[in-house]
Amino acid sequence: MKITITRRILLLTAALLIASLGWAQPPQPTPAPGAPPAAPVMLTDQDVKNAPPPAAEARAKGDPDGGLTGTVTDVVQADSKKGLTLADVINQAGQNRVAINFVWTLITGFLVMFMQAGFALVETGLCRAKNANHTMMMNFMVYGTGLLAYWLIGFAVQMGGVGALGTLGNTPVLNGEFAIKLFGKDFGLWGQNGLFLMHKGTYDVAVMVLFLFQMVFMDTALTIVTGTAAERWKFAAFVVSSFLMGAFTYPLFANWAWGGGWTAALGANFGLGHGYCDFAGSGVVHAVGGMTALALGILIGPRIGKYDRSGKSNAILGHDIVLVLTGCFILAFGWFGFNPGSTLAASGNGALRIGSVAVNTMLAGMAGSFGAMLYMWLRYGKPDASMTGNGLLAGLVAITAPSGFVNPVASVIIGVIAGVLVCLSVEFVERVMKVDDPVGAISVHGANGLWGVISVGLFADGKSNYGGSWNGVNGSVTGLFYGDAGQLVAQLIGVCTLVGFVFTFSFVINMIVDAVVGQRVAAKAELEGLDLPEMGALGYPEFKLKASSARA
Amino acid sequence: MAIAGLFVTLLGFLIAVASLGMMSSVGGRMVIVIIGLIVSLVGIIGLLNPAYQKNAIWKK
Repeated sequence: MKITITRRILLLTAALLIASLGWAQPPQPTPAPGAPPAAPVMLTDQDVKNAPPPAAEARAKGDPDGGLTGTVTDVVQADSKKGLTLADVINQAGQNRVAINFVWTLITGFLVMFMQAGFALVETGLCRAKNANHTMMMNFMVYGTGLLAYWLIGFAVQMGGVGALGTLGNTPVLNGEFAIKLFGKDFGLWGQNGLFLMHKGTYDVAVMVLFLFQMVFMDTALTIVTGTAAERWKFAAFVVSSFLMGAFTYPLFANWAWGGGWTAALGANFGLGHGYCDFAGSGVVHAVGGMTALALGILIGPRIGKYDRSGKSNAILGHDIVLVLTGCFILAFGWFGFNPGSTLAASGNGALRIGSVAVNTMLAGMAGSFGAMLYMWLRYGKPDASMTGNGLLAGLVAITAPSGFVNPVASVIIGVIAGVLVCLSVEFVERVMKVDDPVGAISVHGANGLWGVISVGLFADGKSNYGGSWNGVNGSVTGLFYGDAGQLVAQLIGVCTLVGFVFTFSFVINMIVDAVVGQRVAAKAELEGLDLPEMGALGYPEFKLKASSARA
Repeated sequence: MAIAGLFVTLLGFLIAVASLGMMSSVGGRMVIVIIGLIVSLVGIIGLLNPAYQKNAIWKK
């Protein structure tokens, strides 16, 4: 019996060995040492002309498997008399790469544009029914107001000096950065080319693609503010304030980070890692929106009924949690445009990392919702739906800056911290600062935008490579945990700029708007609900609102 | 008080920028930048917000 088992084992081992030999790859022939390398094969125009097109008879039968469509016959010829040349093939390859990048950037921009619908649903759902028309209308018109300001002025301020964009065809027309000398280095402050998309040769296909993508980012920042000021913001003040933010506040910081400005150059000029790095805008979009929201929240004051005379806060519930969570899903969907689209490319320059960026985005959002849900469950006994939704958004906000530089494990850590941070920050803003923020925008976008910026300086793993350099510094972005403390300093300077400069700038602008237009509606209008006094029509005219809701 | 709050908030930013010219070591710059951040937060949370809270609507 023993012998039989041993024999079987031996036979099985022998069979496995034989099989593995059969599966093994044959050794590749290696050139003899010292042998000259094989001469490169030179392609000529004649070789290109000899490339066989599909047979006409085969083509006439249709192409169900796609094998005959997209061949040599589809390469565009510059001169039909000369026929197909090697130059035609090379030009087609270059245009294909830029075309892939154009289509990628445009489609991801369209996804980001759809996020406006998500913001509108989240904010309207978290506000009371008596303000539904007003809140929805702010989210609707922030698109038009912001777009107008950005087309007129903002884009030129942000991107007018960014220089050639390799992924979009090396357009050279955005080359007018205004800079001053400080500490012996150039400090880029704002761009100068691109007013109305006509100025100084900016009527250009690549500039149009860049404008569309950057415009929807700017609009995301603007719509954050409407959440904090909801239910008491005078509509005229909203229009003026949003215009000024789209023209100046947002584009200034965006220039410093993405448009060739001074924070991006902290690496090249002062040896601080790769300078301020913000892949898709935790700082540029979300923290700018969050800091402006904080400024306006302080300036405009809390809603009537939010605090009693002792300063204790009262919960003012939103009217539709279904809208809120549907909006969160739309935002999570749109974020797949926000972060992966920020490569501005799907071909070349390391752009195949788009898969990694998308997965990091997905993971951090999930981790954020778990972090917030568990925090609320443990602290208050129930998994609060609106805070879980905010946790998802917090995770997405936080991963926006690092999404192109970190690995999946770091993404989950960043997301979980963001989910807990948003809950802590909401409590701090509401109970300690006594700033009324109906939708939690200051915490979701402000606090977690700053956390996202810092997390680049901690978790960037040095594995990304977008064309060999970032912000003019060779190599990959690397954070403190992977050996570069200088990157963290660059990120902290970005945080200081957001808290110290952007907040102050926003506050002063909104003080002026307050003096000229008046930021807050009258108490009577606020108590009645802003739909009739401000918009002239109810959001839900066939609904009879509860007396308690109307009074609150 | 509100103007002082705005000034201190902006001062924090200027301190952080000044760190670039004041020293070249990464550690030294990090300390100064963190000081700048704290100064800005004091400006917002400690000065500006309390100035606006004095006349808050719920105190009337």
